[in-house]
Amino acid sequence: MIVKGEHAFSGRPELVWALLLDPEVIAKAMPGTRELALTAPNRYEGRMVVTIGPVTAAEFALVIMLEELAPPRRFVMRVDGNGRFGFTRGTARVELAANDGGTMMRYEADLQVGGKIAAVGQRLLDVVSRTLLRAGLAALGKELEHRLGDGDRP
Amino acid sequence: MKPAPFTYHAPASLERAFALLDEHGYDAKPLAGGQSLVPAMNFRLAQPAVLIDLNRLDRLAGIEPTDAGGLRIGAMTRQRALERDPRVARVAPLLAQALPHIAHPQIRNRGTLGGSLAHADPASELPAVMLGLGARLRLGGSRGERWLPAQEFFLGLFSTALEPGELLLEIEIPAAAPGSGWAFEEAARRHGDFALAGVAAGARLDADGRCRETTVVLFGVGEGPVPVPGAAAALAGRRPSAQRIAEAAEVVRSSLDPPGDIHASPAYRRRLAAVLTRRALTRAFDAAGKASA
Repeated sequence: MIVKGEHAFSGRPELVWALLLDPEVIAKAMPGTRELALTAPNRYEGRMVVTIGPVTAAEFALVIMLEELAPPRRFVMRVDGNGRFGFTRGTARVELAANDGGTMMRYEADLQVGGKIAAVGQRLLDVVSRTLLRAGLAALGKELEHRLGDGDRP
Repeated sequence: MKPAPFTYHAPASLERAFALLDEHGYDAKPLAGGQSLVPAMNFRLAQPAVLIDLNRLDRLAGIEPTDAGGLRIGAMTRQRALERDPRVARVAPLLAQALPHIAHPQIRNRGTLGGSLAHADPASELPAVMLGLGARLRLGGSRGERWLPAQEFFLGLFSTALEPGELLLEIEIPAAAPGSGWAFEEAARRHGDFALAGVAAGARLDADGRCRETTVVLFGVGEGPVPVPGAAAALAGRRPSAQRIAEAAEVVRSSLDPPGDIHASPAYRRRLAAVLTRRALTRAFDAAGKASA
């Protein structure tokens, strides 16, 4: 499954970059993340609990690795999630570009979802991933506004 | 498979059901017809610690005419009961047309109107029908009751305006305006499968045969029911011709951003939604023409 799109942030790329690499912020942007810690350079590990409709508390062990870092322009994010209900693996390419005093983020992710959750919920994967993505981007935007509000304006 | 262990309550009064909901909070799930919840539990995708069975709450089931010529339907009314009720066919032909598309008779024998609405599956027929009909929903809990229009009830993928501790109690369908016509269309791989796309449409003509009101609500193409007011705008105040209906269908095609899955790509779903809209509007205007003649 390919998920791609773009999103405009109101801060400059350096600020958005710092935001995207902050484990606390990533945890906020990935709905249901219970804990996320930097365990090695560019490697985050944690736990995520996803609740969507009738699916209650699908828990995943999460590993996120960042590669090909070119601050503040682009990076590649590898995500590996494993749980009782299935697994998800994916690679996301993220690019940041200065845009009118703000930042335009372009992303393209190739996601694989397998196991029971994919077998039973196939028809919903696309719409679920969009819902989570939108919630995540909204959380990132809010966090950014918060930081800008603290006097960190460009 | 068998579900994970859970505690079962079957309250005999609404007050007791509210008390149980308050006591158990997020651990509890209300059980209506069980046609979505129980399979999810058997797959162990849903593992509620507490099940609150609403099936003993007789007050929640039944169909009553309102003074204004509409219908009040208890949330626990079985879909099959609605399908067989001549008052539903007369007052809400859109609902009557949609019901046979919902899964299979065995499922409709157990499945309830309220259960389907509270579950809010993006491919389900009834939320779109409720929007199309302009229904109102009565929600209640230990702290009181409130009415919500259908369009404020559905918030997205499997999510509704129901607060923790609240139950959907009743649905009120207004009397259709004189001279209105309705049509429901759906496409699924096999009858009874989840819809690839579907549409609930309503139309009303003025004395000159011009479009006075048009309603188009799609489902299976997003996170929930998707009204397309632009389709109505394409027809407003004009005589409905095949050409203009096709233009309204084109508005649907270009305004949707449907998901893709192994059964249908987003492009296919858009095209399908447009074709179904064209068919539904054609039938709805036909029926409206006959009703106003």
